[in-house]
This record gives sequence, C-alpha cells and structure tokens, in this order.
Amino acid sequence: MIQLHRVWKVYRVGPVRVTALADVSFSIEKGEFTVLAGPSGSGKTTLLRLLYRDDLPTEGEIQVAGYEVTSLRRSKIPQLRRAVGVVFQDAKLLPARSVYENVAFVLRVLGAPRREITPRVMQTLKAVGLSAKAQALPAQLSLGEQQRAALARALVKEPALLLADEPTGNLDEAISEEILDLLKEIWNRGTTILLATHRATLADQLKRRTIVLDGGRLLEDEP
Amino acid sequence: MSSLLPFLIGEAFRDLKRAGRVAVSAVLLITLSLAALGAFWVLSLNLGRAVAQWRDRLRVVVYLREEPPTGAVEGLLRKVEAVGGIQRLRYVSKAEALQTLRRQLGGQASVLEQLSANPLPSSVEVTPVSDASTPEGTRALIQRLSALVEVEEVQGGTEWVERLAQWQRLLQGIGLGVGAVLALAAILTVTTATTLVLHVRREEMEIMRLVGASEMVIRVPLFLQGLAQGLLGAAVAVGGLYLAYMLALPTVEPLLSLTLGLPRATFFSPTEMALLLSGGGLLGACGGLLAKGRSESGRQS
Ligand SMILES: Nc1ncnc2c1ncn2[C@@H]1O[C@H](COP(=O)(O)OP(=O)(O)O)[C@@H](O)[C@H]1O
Ligand SMILES: [Mg+2]
Repeated sequence: MIQLHRVWKVYRVGPVRVTALADVSFSIEKGEFTVLAGPSGSGKTTLLRLLYRDDLPTEGEIQVAGYEVTSLRRSKIPQLRRAVGVVFQDAKLLPARSVYENVAFVLRVLGAPRREITPRVMQTLKAVGLSAKAQALPAQLSLGEQQRAALARALVKEPALLLADEPTGNLDEAISEEILDLLKEIWNRGTTILLATHRATLADQLKRRTIVLDGGRLLEDEP
Repeated sequence: MSSLLPFLIGEAFRDLKRAGRVAVSAVLLITLSLAALGAFWVLSLNLGRAVAQWRDRLRVVVYLREEPPTGAVEGLLRKVEAVGGIQRLRYVSKAEALQTLRRQLGGQASVLEQLSANPLPSSVEVTPVSDASTPEGTRALIQRLSALVEVEEVQGGTEWVERLAQWQRLLQGIGLGVGAVLALAAILTVTTATTLVLHVRREEMEIMRLVGASEMVIRVPLFLQGLAQGLLGAAVAVGGLYLAYMLALPTVEPLLSLTLGLPRATFFSPTEMALLLSGGGLLGACGGLLAKGRSESGRQS
C-alpha cells in the first residue's frame, strides 16, 4: 500500500536548509494499522504530506495505493487523493454547512450519482456514531464529535488508505480513546491506516507496528 | 444522474451571495458599461439608417445652360448618361420646373404672376447607381457631369449626408471608447468580487483538493458566478435601454422624421440584444477566470 525508498525532504527557508526527512525507507502492506511516532518536529507531518502528494520529496521514490507519487502527473493527483483519506488534528469542517452537508460535499465534488449520496452519507455517519447529529452545524458539536465528522468525510469516498495526523491532538484522554477505538473499527472493516502521533504512550497502548522518526531519520520500525 | 452540475450551480450562487456587495457593484458596472455602449450603439444604428436612406435617395441635379430644343433632349440625355455611374435620369423642362414651384408655393403662387419670363433653368435629375453613391463616387460623378459643355452647374447634396455619416462614426467611436473603459472597470470589479469569493472559499477549495476533486470542478463555480454577474448586468442594461427608448420615443420620433426624414426609430434586433448579453457574459466570465489565476499561483508544490 505504501513504499518509501530513500526519501529526503529538505526545506529551504531563505538561506537556511531544514532537513525534515533524511533517507527514510519503509513499506506498509495493505490492511496494516501502523503508528508513525516521534517527537514534535521529527518529520511526521512532512512524511504524510508526501504520501498524499501535497508536496514532493527532494529525493527518493514513493508509491501509494498503486500510484508512483513522485512522478505523478499533476492531472492525476485527484485520482491519488480519492484513494487516500486524510484527517488532521483540527477537523477542518466547513463551518456554514451541516455535518451531513460536510460529508455529502465530498460525494458531490466527486460527481457521485445523486441517489447514492444520502444513503452513503448516512451509512458513514452511522459508522462513526454521528447519525443523530447529521443536521447539526460544526460549532454545535463537541471536539470529539467534530473529529468523528472529519473521519466520516475522509471515509465516505471509501479510500483504501487512511492517513491520520495527530487526530487526537486536541482531545482529552477519554475522548482520544473513543477516536482510537473508532480507528480500530475502521481498520477492522479493511481500511489500511497510518496514524501519526507524538504521544509515546499512545503508540505503546495501541500495540501495533510503530515506525519511529527522530530528527527526520527512521529510528526504529518494530512490529 | 450525477449530482455534479446542480452542485456546481449551487456553489456558484452560494459564491455570489458571499461576494455580496462587491458582486452587486460588479453587476452595476457591467450594466453601466453595456448601457453606455448600447446607448451609443442605438443612436449610431438609427443615424446609420438615416445615412443609408439618404444615400439611397440621393439625387444629383444637373442645371443646363439653356433649354435644348425639343428634338435635342433625347441626344442630350444620352450624352449625360454616357458619363457613367448613372442609374436613372429624367429631363425637367423650364415649364415643368415652374409648375413644380407653383405647386410647392400653393397659396403664394400668385407672386409668380409678376414674372415676365420663366427664370428657372431646365435640368436633368440624375440618380447615381448605388455603387456610386459613396462620397467619393458622388464627387467623381459630379466632376464628370460638370465637364459637359451644356452644363451650367451640378448640385449634389452629398455633403450633409457625409457629415451625418461622420457623426455616426464619431458616435460609434465614443461608444466603443466609453464602453471599453467601463468594461475594463467591470472586469476588474468582477475579478475583485471573485477574489473575495476565493478568499471566503479557501476552505472549500482546500477540502476539494484534499478529497480529489478535479481542477475543473474547482474552477467551474468561479466561472459560473462571474458569468451570472455578467449576464445579469447585461440583462439589466438591455432592459434599461429599452425602457429609456420607449419613454423617449414619443418625443424623439417626430424629431427624427423632421430632421433626418426617418419615419421610425428602431431598437436593437434580437441578434444585437443577444450580442450585448453575450458581451456581458463574456465580461463576467473573464473576471471570474482572472481571479482564479491569481489564487492558484499561491498553491503550487
Ligand atoms: N513548510 C515548511 N517549511 C519549512 N520548514 C518546515 C516546513 N514544514 C515543516 N518544516 C520543518 O520540518 C521539520 C519537521 O516538521 P514536521 O513534519 O511538521 O514535524 P512533526 O509533524 O513531526 O511535528 C521541522 O523542523 C519543521 O520546522
Ligand atoms: Mg505534525
């Protein structure tokens, strides 16, 4: 599902060069649940952004969901993005639209048949436990509920891979737990998941394969 | 049935609402520019008709030095016709000229009784072929006619028609100039409105790109909202012009027939209205697309 081969990412900020990723190689199979761990600034977000082609590596090759990301033509980027769901620390919901509309938005921009939209949105909202809040505006939701809505939005197009960048970063312990349980459920239904977190405890507690970054280098990769 | 098209149109209207006052002023500017252009256009259209009509009716009158004897009229006419560029010609004898004058004077005709002799010259009325009724053609014809020995003087009333034609060209020029300046302002305003939309829409576009919407889907609503602003502005302009035309008609029409001999004033034909509408749509769409270019440059990776 994911392969990185000798990937480097060097940012240039004026005259200064920041090495965010240094010679990183690993691969993740279809159906895995992998944790990407490491302290703040270790390059986790940078790595995820390379995976959904938000940015290009300075060097190295990346394959995601069958796409050669590093040599992907600009016009093919949407196809890659359709195969990859992404959630962030903040939910990034559209504030003027209901939960339902936020999720339906994805199917509409992707041109899904009209009669498929409601069933698919409601099914996805049910899967993240938000059926009752379909008509609520994002501001009327708790942070945990907002993150569920963001997950529904990422999942409604049925991506093969879900990238989660610190999805529990804004949440307290108990709510984080719920979101992690939800991720596990999603994984159980067959979605490959890569979860980035700086919380070492969280990585331990998940008992899943953990890839650790430190200063942009792959520190360890343990099953 | 795909949900895409209704969605895109819906997004475009959402955008229009969000651009709010700027969109309204964009529509107003498009209205103004097209109304200015259209007003000059209608004027020049009617002037153009007057010019064409007068060119059509153009007569050149050839006054003769002396009245030819009855038998010589045929030969004279053939000689005049031989200068070329003549469609029709008619001999007017001294007697006929006097009779015409008497008819024109009506009640005052008695003054003519005072005359001891008929002072009017005999003449030949010449209608040029339509090719020759351009200013240059007419001037050349008059020159050729003046060269004939039998001819005293040639009168061709082309000058004022040409002045009218000049006015028409001037009006066209002013209309195009004013219209162009306002159109430029209109495009800029649509661009501003769209840039505003882009700003408000940044979150949407980010999500769209994130979930894999094609660039087309991202652009179309911007294009549509610009187009809508343009079409709306053009429609208001055409409507306003028509209203002004209807209101002015009772005053203007008699004036037109008196000064220019035009029996009726005309408004745009359906084709010309369609042209104005598409002009507006084009202005708006341009504005919408221009703004898009700006926003995109910020997001290359
Ligand atoms: N767009 C950028 N421009 C310059 N430097 C960046 C950029 N994004 C990240 N960095 C730098 O790259 C390093 C890794 O950052 P990041 O990938 O955000 O780490 P993490 O997500 O693990 O906290 C940091 O030193 C950060 O300052
Ligand atoms: Mg990060």
